[in-house]
Amino acid sequence: MSPEWLRILWRSPGGRTGCLLIFLLGLLASFTSMGWLGQGWSAGSDISWGEVSASHWFGTNRLGQDIFDRALVATATAFRVGLLVTLGAIAIGACLGGLAGWRHDRWPDHCVMWLAGVLDSVPVFLLAAALAFAFGGGEAAMYLAMILSFWTTTARLVRAEVMRLRGQDFVLAARAIGLPGQQILRRHLLPNTMHLLLVQASLTFVAAIKTEVILSFLGIGLDDGVSLGLMLAEATQDILAGHLGNFLAASGCLFLLLLGLNLAADALQDGVDMKQAPS
Amino acid sequence: MKSDSTLRLALAVLLLSLQTACKDAADSAADLTEPKRYVHSLDGVPASLDPAQAGTRYAKFLVLNLYDTLYRYRYLARPYELAPNLAAAMPELSKDGLTLTIRLKRGVHFIDDPAFADGKGREVTAQDVIYSLQRHFDPATRSQGAWLWQGRIEGLDAWKDQGSNYEQPVSGLRALDRHTLEIRLTQPYPQFVHTLAQGFAGVVPREAVTAYGLELGRRAVGSGPFRLQSIDSARARLVRNERFRQETFDLALEGFDPERDQGLGLTALDGRSSPFIDELEVEFIPEDAARWSSFYSGLTQFTKVPVAQFGQVLESTAPPTLKPELQERFQLQAAPELGFVYTSFNMADPEIGYSEDPQRNARNRALRCAIVKGFDWTQRNQRFFGGIGEVFPGVIPPRLPEYDPEQDRGSTEADPAAARALLAAADWDAGNLPVLEYGFPASVTERQLFEQFRGFMEAIGYPRAKIQPLSYASFGDYYRAYSQGQVMLITSAWTMDYPDAENTVQLFYGPHRAPGANAASFDDPQFNTAFSAAATLPPSPQRTELYRAANQRVIDECAAITGLVRRLVLLWDRQVILQPDWAFVGGYAMRFVDLRDPAGQR
Repeated sequence: MSPEWLRILWRSPGGRTGCLLIFLLGLLASFTSMGWLGQGWSAGSDISWGEVSASHWFGTNRLGQDIFDRALVATATAFRVGLLVTLGAIAIGACLGGLAGWRHDRWPDHCVMWLAGVLDSVPVFLLAAALAFAFGGGEAAMYLAMILSFWTTTARLVRAEVMRLRGQDFVLAARAIGLPGQQILRRHLLPNTMHLLLVQASLTFVAAIKTEVILSFLGIGLDDGVSLGLMLAEATQDILAGHLGNFLAASGCLFLLLLGLNLAADALQDGVDMKQAPS
Repeated sequence: MKSDSTLRLALAVLLLSLQTACKDAADSAADLTEPKRYVHSLDGVPASLDPAQAGTRYAKFLVLNLYDTLYRYRYLARPYELAPNLAAAMPELSKDGLTLTIRLKRGVHFIDDPAFADGKGREVTAQDVIYSLQRHFDPATRSQGAWLWQGRIEGLDAWKDQGSNYEQPVSGLRALDRHTLEIRLTQPYPQFVHTLAQGFAGVVPREAVTAYGLELGRRAVGSGPFRLQSIDSARARLVRNERFRQETFDLALEGFDPERDQGLGLTALDGRSSPFIDELEVEFIPEDAARWSSFYSGLTQFTKVPVAQFGQVLESTAPPTLKPELQERFQLQAAPELGFVYTSFNMADPEIGYSEDPQRNARNRALRCAIVKGFDWTQRNQRFFGGIGEVFPGVIPPRLPEYDPEQDRGSTEADPAAARALLAAADWDAGNLPVLEYGFPASVTERQLFEQFRGFMEAIGYPRAKIQPLSYASFGDYYRAYSQGQVMLITSAWTMDYPDAENTVQLFYGPHRAPGANAASFDDPQFNTAFSAAATLPPSPQRTELYRAANQRVIDECAAITGLVRRLVLLWDRQVILQPDWAFVGGYAMRFVDLRDPAGQR
C-alpha cells in the first residue's frame, strides 16, 4: 500500500537511483542529527590542514577540524534547510495560489499576482541574497529569505489548477449544498493539487540547497554550525594552501545530493505528466 | 622580356627588404621610446579619489599620488620620519606650541584641467591648503577625515557650526601671504604635522570642487606626481605629471640603509628627479587567488601574498625567506604592519564589564582575566597569520619608541589551568558563567576565528552553549553595532593613522568611549590621567613613562585580549626598483619606483 508518488518514482531507473541516493544520504544525515555520527565536526586538533589519514578520511581544515565529520553535518544541514524552506514555500504558495485561483480576477487574485510579479522580476538568487542581507544575515534570515523568494512559482501553478477545478462538477455540487468557499478550497481543491505540490516540493528542495550554498558562501547564511556552502567558502583559502579536502568533500556531497534529488524530481514530473496526458 | 621580369623581381625583393628594414628600424625606435610602465596590485578597490574620502588604504594610496600634501614620510627612513612635500620646510612652531607657520614651495602647479578658467593649472597657494582643510568641516563634503582636526584648530569647529561659509575666515587658519600659512591650535598637539601627511590632507583646488562636486570621486585635479588617465572598478591608470616639481632624490636623506636595502637597486635613483616611471597602473584584485595568478603570470609586478599561501611561497618563516625557485624572479619583504589585532571586552556591559556592585565588578575582572589567560596567541598566530605575526602585551606595539621590550608577557601566554583557577577563585562555574557573545562580520575567516576562540574557552571550562556567535551581514553593520555598545566581545584590527603611540593608546581613553574609538568603553581614572598628561607632550622620556603606565592599566584591568602585529609578505618583480611599505609610506613610494634597464623597459 505504498503511496502513489512512491510507485511513480520506483517505476523509472532514474527515480530508483535518485531514491537510493536520497535514502543513503538521508540516513547519514539522520544518524548525524541524532548524534551517532560526525560529532567531532567542531573539535580542533593540532594538525592544521592535515593530510588524508586513517583518522581523517578527507584530512583536516585550517583549524584542524575533521573534514569528513564536517561533511556529514553539512549534509544534515542541507536536508534541514531543504525541508524547512520547502515546507514554508509550498505552504505559502499553496495558500496564496489557492486563494488567488478561487477569487480569480478579484482583488485577492490581483494582490497575489502583483506581489508574485514583483518578486519574480528579480533573479531568484539575487532576491534571496538581498533579502537575507536585509534581514541581517544568519540562519533565520536565510530561511525567511528563501521562503519569500520561492513561493511564487507554486502559487502560480496552484492558482491555475484551482481555476481549472473550480468549474468542475464536484465543486459545483459542494457550492450547491452551501459549503463555504474556505471549506471548498481546503477540503476539495487544495487536496486535488497534491500532484503539483509534490513535484514542486522536490524542485524547491533542490533550489533551497543550492541557494543555501550560495548564501553561506557569500557569508550571509548560517550563524553557527557548518554547511556545504561554508565548506566551499573555506575551500577557497584551502586551495591556495594546496589542500583539496574541503572542496572534494563538500562538492562531492553536493553533487550526490543534487543528483539524487534531480533524478527523483524528473521521475516524479514524468510520472505526473503521463498521468495527466490526454488519452 | 626575360630580363624585364628578372629586373621586376629584383626590384620587388629590394622593396620588400627595404620595407622590412624600415619596419624593424621603426620598431626599434618605438622600443626606445616606449614608456616605463609599472603595474601594482591592491587587494581592494578605492571608493573615491576625493581626498576628503580617503579613508581606506586603497583610496589613500591613489590620492597620495594624485594630490600633494604639505608633508610626507621619507621613503626609506625607519622609524618613520616626516619630510617637507608641498611645504618648503618643516613648520616653524611657536614657543607655546600653539602656532605653526608653514611656507609652501613656489611654482607648484595643479595639473591642467577644464575646471580652471583657461584650462591651465594654476599655482598652488596657501589659500588652497586652507580651503582643503575647511571643506572637511563643510557638511556638503561628507568628509571621512574631519576627525583628524576636530577640536584641534582654533575656530574651525565654530566655522562649521555657523554654516560653513567659505567667505567667513577661520581664526586658526590664515594665509600670511600667497605662500605662507599660519595654523593656530587650540592646545599643543605634537602629532599635528602627521595629520598633514595623510591622504585626507591632499590639497584640492576650489575650482575642481565647484566644477565636479561629487564627481571629484572619479576625477583628480591635484598637483601630485601623477595624473589620472582612467579608473574603473578593475584598475586605475596614472601617467606621470610632466609639470611635477623637479627635485633631486637624495638617497642618504631618504634614509637609505646599505645593509637593509642591499640588492634592491635603489642606488641607481640617487641624484635623479622623480617620478621615475611614465605610467603607473594599479590593478584592484580583492580575490587572493586571482591576485596571485596575475602576479605569478607577470600581469602585475607587485602583490601581497595571502596567508594561506605562505607555505607555497616561503622556504622558512623565521626569518621569512623565499623558496629557491621563486628567488630568481621575485624580491621578498616580510614587513610588520603598524597596528595590531585584538579583542576588547565591552566594559559598559555589566555581564562582563563594569558593575555597580563592587563584588560583581571584581568577579567580572577575574572573568575577563581568565578569558585573557585562556586565549592562545601562539595558535592564533600559527593558524591565521602564518606564524610570523608578533605577539605583544598591551596596546603599544613593537617599533614604537614607547614600546617596552622588558614588559611582562604573561598576558599573552595561554595558561588554561591558571584560567580555570581564576574562575574558581571568583566563584564562577559552568552554571553561573554569563553567555559570551562574540561579534564578527560574516566571512569565512572571521567565523573560523570565532570557532577557534570557542575552542580556547571550552578548554578553560566554558560551556560551549554559552559562547554565542553574533554575526553581522557586513563590516559596516558590525562597526555600527559595536560602536553603539551592542557587542560583548569586539574583535577588530587597528591600523595606525600615524606612527605615534598616542594613536593606539587613545583607543582606551575614557572620553573616547563608544561611539568613539574606545569601543570597549574602558574608563579607568589612572589611565585617563596618564593619557591626558602625555597627549600634549612631545616625544620624551616623560611621555614614554606616562604611556607605559597607561598601557599597564589596560593589562591589569584585563580590558582586552591583546595583541598581535600582523606581518605582511610582499613580493615584487626583480626588474622593479622598489622598497615597498604597507603603512604610512605606501602611496608615497610610487613616485620613487623605477624599472631596471634595459630588461625593465616594457
